[in-house]
Amino acid sequence: MKSTEIKEPVITSVGSDNTDNILAEEAVKGGSLTKDAMRRLRKNKIAIIGLWIVGLYIILAITAPILPIHSFSDQVLSHQNLRPSLTKTAGQLLVESRIKSLMQQENVAEVSMLSRAAVSNYTEYSEMLALEERNLNGKLVMVNNRRYILGVDDLGRDVLARVIYGSQISIAVGIFGAITSVFIGTIIGAISGYVGGRTDYIIMRIVDVMYGLPYMLLVIMLMSIFGRNIFNLFLALALVSWLTTARVVRGQIMSLKNSLFVESARSMGASNLRIVFIHLIPNTLTVIIIFVTLGVPAFILTESFLSYLGLGVSAPYTSWGALVRDGVPSMSVYPWRLLVPSAAMVIFLFSMNFIGDGLRDALDPQDKKNL
Amino acid sequence: MKVYAIKRVLGLIPTIFVIISISFAMLHLAPGDPFSSERPIPPEVRANLEAKYGLDKSPVIQYFNYVGRLLHGDLGLSIFYKDYTVTEYILKSLPTSLTLGGLAMVLALSLGVTVGVLAALFKNTYIDYSLMGIAITGISIPLFVIGPVLQYVFALKLGLLPTSGWLSSINGWSAVIMPVVTLAFIYFAEIARITRGSILEVLKSDYIRTARAKGLSTRVVVVRHTLKGGLLPIVSFMGPTLASILTGSVVVEQIFRVPGIGRYFVESALHRDYFLLLGIVVIYAALLVVFNLIVDLLYVFLDPRIDYK
Repeated sequence: MKSTEIKEPVITSVGSDNTDNILAEEAVKGGSLTKDAMRRLRKNKIAIIGLWIVGLYIILAITAPILPIHSFSDQVLSHQNLRPSLTKTAGQLLVESRIKSLMQQENVAEVSMLSRAAVSNYTEYSEMLALEERNLNGKLVMVNNRRYILGVDDLGRDVLARVIYGSQISIAVGIFGAITSVFIGTIIGAISGYVGGRTDYIIMRIVDVMYGLPYMLLVIMLMSIFGRNIFNLFLALALVSWLTTARVVRGQIMSLKNSLFVESARSMGASNLRIVFIHLIPNTLTVIIIFVTLGVPAFILTESFLSYLGLGVSAPYTSWGALVRDGVPSMSVYPWRLLVPSAAMVIFLFSMNFIGDGLRDALDPQDKKNL
Repeated sequence: MKVYAIKRVLGLIPTIFVIISISFAMLHLAPGDPFSSERPIPPEVRANLEAKYGLDKSPVIQYFNYVGRLLHGDLGLSIFYKDYTVTEYILKSLPTSLTLGGLAMVLALSLGVTVGVLAALFKNTYIDYSLMGIAITGISIPLFVIGPVLQYVFALKLGLLPTSGWLSSINGWSAVIMPVVTLAFIYFAEIARITRGSILEVLKSDYIRTARAKGLSTRVVVVRHTLKGGLLPIVSFMGPTLASILTGSVVVEQIFRVPGIGRYFVESALHRDYFLLLGIVVIYAALLVVFNLIVDLLYVFLDPRIDYK
């Protein structure tokens, strides 16, 4: 906390030119609203940690194809539901379970008590496993030397790879969805607030009615009209979630449009379009940024909700929600299949929410008293 | 005030009709129809089926037929579930959803407001941080993770509560606990956050300073002065939320096998069960506009500065 705080200039010798310069510089720096906000954001430790975590997630999602992980779609059926292990390879885990079943058959408590036949049986088995090659996408792979640090799912696919590739879709839907919806909301809200009168009335009635339509119904309808794919998914989400942004931006524009700087811009001959896009919308940037950051986790949640109901992404692609849905039925036997994607998703959403809250606190000038 | 209320009530009717019309149009624009399935049905059978449900006419006539019947209180027949009429399905499942949603809302409100006020009063202390940490957890964890985890812990491991189901002679109210808690959790989080923010705002205002200057105890200042003003954002949040929570959270009903209306909602959309889906939309829209109206009227009682004239 302390290291990130900007230190007040220490005045050592009162009146010296040097100090005055520093003070003047500080004053100039402190004057900018953005800098002020950045400073307050930097003070917010949790938000900064959140920022780092989100950055890491995004880097992992983007670099997924070059990361040293297994394929997210190749199925190794003999590896079904292997437990997560940092140290043991898939082959070793298979041998382990083989020994366990042999011990059960012979009713003994220790490996050393196994009969000779059983021992030779499992030695043979482990030798066979070590050399086994499988053709995956035209490449021969010694599959049993693989390690699955986060376990395997019911079709023999690496959970780690699936979570990383799933994050690609979840994060993309979140970011693009939030940006698209805020974009639509800002434009419509700005026009409605600036033009006013009948246009405003009609647009706001449309918004009211759309609030009345069940959100899920709209999304389900849009998905079935345009077909199920990822692009349509986020488009459908964006099309029905711009309403709140539009309302808030409209309110902001309405309170700004009579201010002096708009009047002076108009007196200098600026067109309406220019006033709206160059002068007014940048002034609502605070709201826009907050809506985007808080929109991302909301979109990810909605996407996962749709995937959970079976309306989201389709196989072999996956998302966090789809992974969670796959994990739920077997949670008492293979808990990692539920816990790994849930944890990945919850940590990300957690971080995004903290960033959103931090930004809101930092950008909200009303709270300045509490600096 | 009375004039305003009457005006608003009359204004509800066109809103509901616009919602119904849009839903109707979207349903007919969507590709596929109730009878398109994996197994194609013979054209003669299809024609008969369409005639039975009145789907052989043009969409415009269908629309007027539907609205005409709706005005008589007839919601039509379900195409996919052939045993009952839409009205019967809704009457059968809506009370369950209303109970689930109502209980969840009561729980979420009482906990959320308490937590929010506490966090605001102890701003930037560890009490605040931990309470808000819990609230953000609530917003970040999807329902369909909380539900199964609760099931796993309380039903499978501890054996305290039944895994799923709803009020019945065998389980009594014990089956109600987990669905209600699960559903309440996300709303609790949302309410706690909004309460904290608005209470902080109110605490800064002049009338609170006046109340303090008068020498009133903290308890009186908080309960009588701050809460009343601080609850306005909660009230406006409640309007749309009540409608959606009461018409049943699809996911909670699915996880805990609660026989509510949410189940029919998704299934009817997937099966293109026109009349059942429209029936649910009608109920939802009616609830929504009524709750919004109540919220607007409540404002006047909570904040004397608001005046509808």
